[in-house]
Amino acid sequence: MLTYILRRLGLAAVITVLAVTLLFLIIHMIPGDPISTMLGPKASPEMRAALEARMGLDKPLIAQIGLFFANMLRGDLGMDVFSNRPVTTIVLGQIPYTLTLILVSILWSAVLGIALGCYSAVNRNSLGDRLTGVLSVSVIAVPAFVVSLYSLLLFAVKLQWFPAIGAGEPGDWGDQLHHLVLPSLAIGLSWVGYIARLVRASMLEVMGEGHVRTARAFGLPERRITFGYALRLAILPTVTVIGVGMGFLLSAAVFTEIVFSRPGLGKLVIDSITTRNYPVVMGSVLFSTLIFVASTTLADIINAILDPRIRAGK
Amino acid sequence: MTKQNISWSRVGLPRRAFLKGATALGAMAATGLALPRPAFAAGGTLKTRTYADIRSMDPAFSQGVVDEEIHAAIYNKLIQYKPGREWGWQLDAADMVEQVDATHINFALKDNIGFTNGFGAMTAEDVKFSFERIIDDALESTNKPDWGPLDHVEVTGERTGTIVLKNAFQPLWSITLPYIAGNIVSKAAFEQAGGKIDTQPVATSGPYLHTSWEPKQKTTLTRNPDWKGEAPVYDEIQIYHIDDEKAAEIAFEAGEIDFTRVSLDSVERLKSSPIDGATLDEYPSLYYVWVGMNLDNPKMANLKLRQAIQYAIDVPSIMAGAYFGAAEPSTGIIAPGLPGHREASLTGTAADLEKAQALMAESGETNVSLTISVLNKSANVTAAQIIQANLAAIGITLDISLHEGATFWELGNDENVELVLNRYSMTPDPYYATSWFITEQAGIWNWERFKNEEFDELHLAAQSEGDQAKRAAMYARAQDLMEESGAYKFITHESTPVIYRNTVVPALRPDGLPLYRYFGAV
Repeated sequence: MLTYILRRLGLAAVITVLAVTLLFLIIHMIPGDPISTMLGPKASPEMRAALEARMGLDKPLIAQIGLFFANMLRGDLGMDVFSNRPVTTIVLGQIPYTLTLILVSILWSAVLGIALGCYSAVNRNSLGDRLTGVLSVSVIAVPAFVVSLYSLLLFAVKLQWFPAIGAGEPGDWGDQLHHLVLPSLAIGLSWVGYIARLVRASMLEVMGEGHVRTARAFGLPERRITFGYALRLAILPTVTVIGVGMGFLLSAAVFTEIVFSRPGLGKLVIDSITTRNYPVVMGSVLFSTLIFVASTTLADIINAILDPRIRAGK
Repeated sequence: MTKQNISWSRVGLPRRAFLKGATALGAMAATGLALPRPAFAAGGTLKTRTYADIRSMDPAFSQGVVDEEIHAAIYNKLIQYKPGREWGWQLDAADMVEQVDATHINFALKDNIGFTNGFGAMTAEDVKFSFERIIDDALESTNKPDWGPLDHVEVTGERTGTIVLKNAFQPLWSITLPYIAGNIVSKAAFEQAGGKIDTQPVATSGPYLHTSWEPKQKTTLTRNPDWKGEAPVYDEIQIYHIDDEKAAEIAFEAGEIDFTRVSLDSVERLKSSPIDGATLDEYPSLYYVWVGMNLDNPKMANLKLRQAIQYAIDVPSIMAGAYFGAAEPSTGIIAPGLPGHREASLTGTAADLEKAQALMAESGETNVSLTISVLNKSANVTAAQIIQANLAAIGITLDISLHEGATFWELGNDENVELVLNRYSMTPDPYYATSWFITEQAGIWNWERFKNEEFDELHLAAQSEGDQAKRAAMYARAQDLMEESGAYKFITHESTPVIYRNTVVPALRPDGLPLYRYFGAV
């Protein structure tokens, strides 16, 4: 198991380096002058040159990449040119908001999706199964931004049950949870349907396998067969999908953070790209990549724990 | 912030009569100075919205209105803008400001203003430090041009001094002293902090304290208990960072903010279906929008062609289609209410197709195909489509090239640009508008590469001209020259629609920007 984990971590490091290099190149290839955007109209040519040198933009691209990685290894991602604050501080200040939003979204959608999937599989072809199927496909088809806007208009403007903006008062968990309801609904809703369909399909496949039939033949209770044997294996594709889905969740979080005016990594990335604030863009991209790589690696490790065949490389 | 209390010693300073400055704004101030403020219900929290996150709490590095909205509440200046529908200023930290001659301005500070965190009373040394640091090349302040020809500040007493200019500078009264570069900071606090600060103020002196900043979320200001001036009405002001205007409107409808600017395309809806307990007000904006033509591009070299374009563009259609009738056509780059505003443009606002076609025929140009570069905002795109239709009527094929912010704002360097639909921000002095169109700015902010000696001379002379009528005439002539070049078709100054709860009494500049320290409550 340890070898497996080390192999996965090594691969994760390679993926991170490649992804960050690629993103670095893409960001620097986008047309647009960061110096004009940052300094505004009143800057003198001397000030422009000084900022260009301070940001390292006067160096060849390859040297800039090298410098970025060298500084990164020292934990220095540079300074935000606007506020003169360390990029690491800025990005780390935003990550908890995005991670909380993503984790809460995926948590409630996974719990509900798995429950619905199990119900559908156990009650295959029943009215409940059919209804669940229709509902699942319906919510999959609704994009997060539509849910965001409609939930805002209904629950924040019309009914005024939930807040429309912000992330709540720092330190007030109740207020922060209250502020999470609508954004996490927007992000998680389509995942409920997706997970429900996935779990149903996997459960049906597993429940037809020999070891489940054997368990039934031994007279084990149906509840134990379903949750103890079938679900344990049926959950594997869901874990993988959730791990890979972190990338999609991060993109959904960008839009949701803007609609709900929530702080977070997505909003930070958008603002920074618009202003060509390279140090903050790169810092945000680095951490987004790390979140994505960490979640997929974690999903692989969980799969390996649940399924000995994966550990053995079979 | 560890300590908010202030302490300072009172120094006897005889109150001196206020003498108005040499400018028209100074004259306005003289009339507005004694206006009593209405009685407001005190206390409570004002929740409001800003369209971007703060960038710096250091006035030398303030990036504009977003930072200044907060600076104006937590710092003091010698003079502040007066809320209302007409531009003017009122005394702030100064007990007296007197323009002695064209280059000397005497001031005396009030004796009851102190800095937080134990940095003592505000003195003339603080004023000297605050103003001179901005013109110090070593600091690299982006706001240095706002101080124009400042030479130095002479300290003549603990709370008295003289601002010494190299030459007369009229914008001093309208955009320097009452705005970003006029904020007074604590010399001791800034020196202790190493000369400059970032997003955390080290010592403030205004009626509000900067209590907290949650990046990308909100800034909270609370009443300064040691403020000795007229008490602000609200105990707390929460300024939410909501960049999208539609999101801000939803937040307002949901009851989460009390004041916000709204988008122009929402004005009609908010007028026909008003929100209960809220008031919509429209303020004229100072921004100016125009179609520019690059004089250095061979395709735009023909004056008759450019004039044909000027006469073919139908500005009222753009007002109706792109601005939903919530803005008025402009006559130049200087908005109504400012010296130099022209009552009418040379080429009119409505299209004159007959004249445009005649000019097109005179130009000798056929099969003309041009490109207009546009920032990808919905109003701009609609305006460009209307212009496209207008020019089609005189036989010009116009392609629309959309750009996102960063690429659009570097088009000034691109000598291949043909037409541009452009929009610049503005401060309440005509000097700020003409400064972008001088020859020196060609290819930087003068995207039309308009080069005119008379214009350059007018720009230079008008900034020092003390006679307001003459000064206004100079700026009017400068705009005539721009228009005569055929490189400009002026479109609009837009407008600033704001919405607020009926429990709030907003205090806004004439262009609709908030002055939070003067906000009241019913």
